[in-house]
Amino acid sequence: MKKTFIVVLLIALLLPLSLFAQGSKATAVDETKPVTIQYWTHEDPARTQLETELIAKFMADNPNITVVRSTQASVKQIELVQTAFAANQGPDMFNLPIENQYAYITNGRVAPVDYQAAGYANKQDLLDKYMDGVLDTVTVGGEVYGLPLELTNWSIYLNKKVFRSAGLDPEKDYPKTWEEMADISEKLVIRDGDILIRRGFDFRYPYYLTFFVPMVEQLGGDLLSADGKKAIIGDEAWLKALTYMQQWGPSGRNLGSPTYKNARNLFNQDNNDIAMAHTGLYQQGRIEKDNPAFFNSGEWMVIPYPTFKDAVRDVAACYYGHFFMVNADSDPAVQKAAWKLSGYLLSHGEEYLTRGGNIIQPTKALFASDTLKNMPYSQVFIDDMARSHMIYYGENSAQIQTQIRNAVESVMLSGVSPEKALATLRASVQEIIDEQ
Amino acid sequence: MGTRKYRGIERKQARWGFIFVLPAMLFFSLFSFYPIINAIYTSFFDKRALSKLPPKFLGLGNYIRLFDPSRAASDLSFLNSLKSTLVFTLGTFIPLLIVSLILAVFISNLSSNKTKKFLQISYYTPAILSSVVAATIWMIIFDPRGLGNQWLNALMNTPGVDRRWLVDPVMEQVSTMVIYFWKYIGYFVILFITGLASIPPTIYEASTIDGATKNQVFWRITLPLLKPTVVLVSVMAMLQCLKTFSTQYMLYSNGAPRAPINVITFNIYVTGIQQQYLGRASAMSVVLFIMMLLLTLLQFKTTKSENVEY
Amino acid sequence: MQIEKRFTLPKIGIYLVLLVMLTFTLMPIIFMVSASMMTSRQILKMPYTWIPEGIAWENFAKAIQGNDKTYIFVRNISNSLIVSTSVAITTVLIASLTGYGLAKFRFRGRNTVFMMIMATMMIPFEAIMIPLYMVVMALRIQNSYIGLILPFLVSAFGVFQMKQFLTTFPTEFLDAARVDGMGEFGIYWRIVLPNCKPVIATLLILSFRSQWDNLLWPLLVSQSDKMKTIPQYISSFALERSTDEGAMMAAALLASIPMFILFMSLTKYFIGGSAIYESRKG
Repeated sequence: MKKTFIVVLLIALLLPLSLFAQGSKATAVDETKPVTIQYWTHEDPARTQLETELIAKFMADNPNITVVRSTQASVKQIELVQTAFAANQGPDMFNLPIENQYAYITNGRVAPVDYQAAGYANKQDLLDKYMDGVLDTVTVGGEVYGLPLELTNWSIYLNKKVFRSAGLDPEKDYPKTWEEMADISEKLVIRDGDILIRRGFDFRYPYYLTFFVPMVEQLGGDLLSADGKKAIIGDEAWLKALTYMQQWGPSGRNLGSPTYKNARNLFNQDNNDIAMAHTGLYQQGRIEKDNPAFFNSGEWMVIPYPTFKDAVRDVAACYYGHFFMVNADSDPAVQKAAWKLSGYLLSHGEEYLTRGGNIIQPTKALFASDTLKNMPYSQVFIDDMARSHMIYYGENSAQIQTQIRNAVESVMLSGVSPEKALATLRASVQEIIDEQ
Repeated sequence: MGTRKYRGIERKQARWGFIFVLPAMLFFSLFSFYPIINAIYTSFFDKRALSKLPPKFLGLGNYIRLFDPSRAASDLSFLNSLKSTLVFTLGTFIPLLIVSLILAVFISNLSSNKTKKFLQISYYTPAILSSVVAATIWMIIFDPRGLGNQWLNALMNTPGVDRRWLVDPVMEQVSTMVIYFWKYIGYFVILFITGLASIPPTIYEASTIDGATKNQVFWRITLPLLKPTVVLVSVMAMLQCLKTFSTQYMLYSNGAPRAPINVITFNIYVTGIQQQYLGRASAMSVVLFIMMLLLTLLQFKTTKSENVEY
Repeated sequence: MQIEKRFTLPKIGIYLVLLVMLTFTLMPIIFMVSASMMTSRQILKMPYTWIPEGIAWENFAKAIQGNDKTYIFVRNISNSLIVSTSVAITTVLIASLTGYGLAKFRFRGRNTVFMMIMATMMIPFEAIMIPLYMVVMALRIQNSYIGLILPFLVSAFGVFQMKQFLTTFPTEFLDAARVDGMGEFGIYWRIVLPNCKPVIATLLILSFRSQWDNLLWPLLVSQSDKMKTIPQYISSFALERSTDEGAMMAAALLASIPMFILFMSLTKYFIGGSAIYESRKG
């Protein structure tokens, strides 16, 4: 009895292992074979609406292709795509912020662009259609691995009413330096005891690679050395930036903190609880949707990203991109169809700008277009983009961002000294770099 | 002839017992044993989520790294996770144990059955809310402008002080403990009430006849007889605390600092899912598994030896 | 039989403690209800005005409409109901089967089986999350009800409860039925199962409740909006609308209603311990 029992148990244990035998077949691509594309993307009501329309048209034009579009909240999207790929069951087509996407290229998870399927004559044609340098971030070994869905940078939105209520003139008194930002926020802040009822400005926590690293760079520091081997360059710059954040937080001048509601979400409501928020061109579409009265009142404006008073470099907040990428392990016919879909969607650049979430595709055509120029304050964004650079997108950028988050928050919220936080940060980032 | 028939019945019995147990065993093999063995196996390698290359064999490398004392300085180290988990577990289960016992005693003392039932139901209500809902409610309460500050300030007559529930490292831990305590107090009160009710009243009658004072009755009779329930409740509470996850997850997703609440389960999640270090995460899981196994063995041992004799 | 008062505290003291605890326990729930009817502006006014100035119906409208106005809320809550109910039923069936086998039958390796099943309770979910995901993917059941239900088909805790309960079940009844010629399975189905009512009820409720609360697994397995469960809905709703506290509380309230209804109608089974004890006595 015992023997039979053990045998059954062993079979039960070994059975699952046999289920995981996977084989891949290489077949010639049959373009008329019915295929289904699993397309995963992040939530954005306006873009969802536009893409659903476009996908319907695409499916009508390509009856053998079915597209299944799934959305997730952006943070969840990053984790889910990763988990799916870890189990070798990733989606056929997806987009993520580039700093989370780069690892897919280096690990061989995504396929190079199929230029013809996407609607280009060849690689050079593709490179010509986009702004210089934008495709460099997804080019490895001479091949391009993604098509840009959006390139976004953030500038500062300002609520004119709140400024005036504190006796300031928004057109003249807006902050141009970080020192001014702190002082003006002090004037705008309303508190009940220690608790902030209204803030002047607050940062776009937790995107430290986007907003904090440029602040360090303005002061002359760097995240990595030029050869990428050494972490945290320019201690003085880092300490000054960390001290600034410490002074900003609850143990300093108490002007803001990561635990308050996100400034950019509050801004739309025009509730007299925030004066300035750090966000992108797409915010306008959201304001228009959430609060059309506020949008049309003209009581908001956009100002450039401040620099420190004695900055050695003029650097604005980093821009980041989302790219469409295709799973290298998908059936070749599906891959081809996915590139076709990407090319199709992206050919509607102006619609994405106007009603697909106000996202900017970095094509030469769009940047030269009147549509972009006519969007309110687009020039501020374009100018800011010109003086900034792509966010750090190395393989472990997500981990590095976590470490920076830890450093800044320990200084702001946990009473850790900037020196100690910097030492910890250096050690952990160095370790991450060494492991790559 | 009689023995042969007996053996036949015995074998038939054994076969049927086996058959009844089979579905569960198959299920557990596929959905419990295989995954944990897989996790143990993975813990010996440096497996990364996205890498297609065969992972490097590390032997005990991951484990050594977890317990490496030179890493203790880093806030997000495993050693610190152990500390956070310990703080959270003790800080939650001790108040849970004491308060639920006190409440159970008080409730059992009441004369009105209706009040007893009402109180038990009310205390239990938080447990029926999903943890996501509970976390959402409490995050608004702990918002600087929320009820948490208002009530505490009113109580301590300190207007306008931001207790920094979700910001200060100590307060953040306190916040998670408060939420957990709130959620599970009712459940443990009911367990104790059941335990108290299982003590036959004749014992009390006997002790009163013998002239014992009320205090003596409680400390010398009730508590010792309650010991198995106390042990059961303690271990259950501790295990429940070790499994905590959603509370810490929700707080972190909404901007709270990670280090103070980086309990083991949360560390596993972040290391494996967000940072892609699957090997390391598996090693942490194995350590947690062993901790929970030891705790339960402890429980089995103590309840076995406690044959409560009336 | 009333236990005599054992403390020298005045009765007032006892009532006070109980009342304080009551306030602490119910306050957040009442807050949820009252905040769901207020706008954000009202909620964050200091001090908090418990009584809403008129009911903000738009909170509930927003809660049901969801982030992109697709009313997926209805689908998500149905998913949770379907999954939780299925898990509850399968748990009871399989746990009772297994518990019966362990309690009333002697076979080689019985203790080993029991120990192994108990050990599975110790496995933290995070540990097996990824391998489990791979199993589900290999079986091609991701993003489906089966994928949500299968990994939770039976709980070790349920097996434990059933075994404990059935150990004290009088074997004479079973033997009598065997003598009468009833098949083993018939005995299980017609004699054992109907007599487990209190444990079954408690187990049904506990399984339902714990599955209702499950966030991590559906997060991994339900990729399309149509298959998501209600905790996922609330979590993504709260993240997206983190500044609209009124709508968040409305969503939280609506999502809690099924459990409230279940709880209110079956309270005696939730206050489980005493129910089991009482029926045992009789």
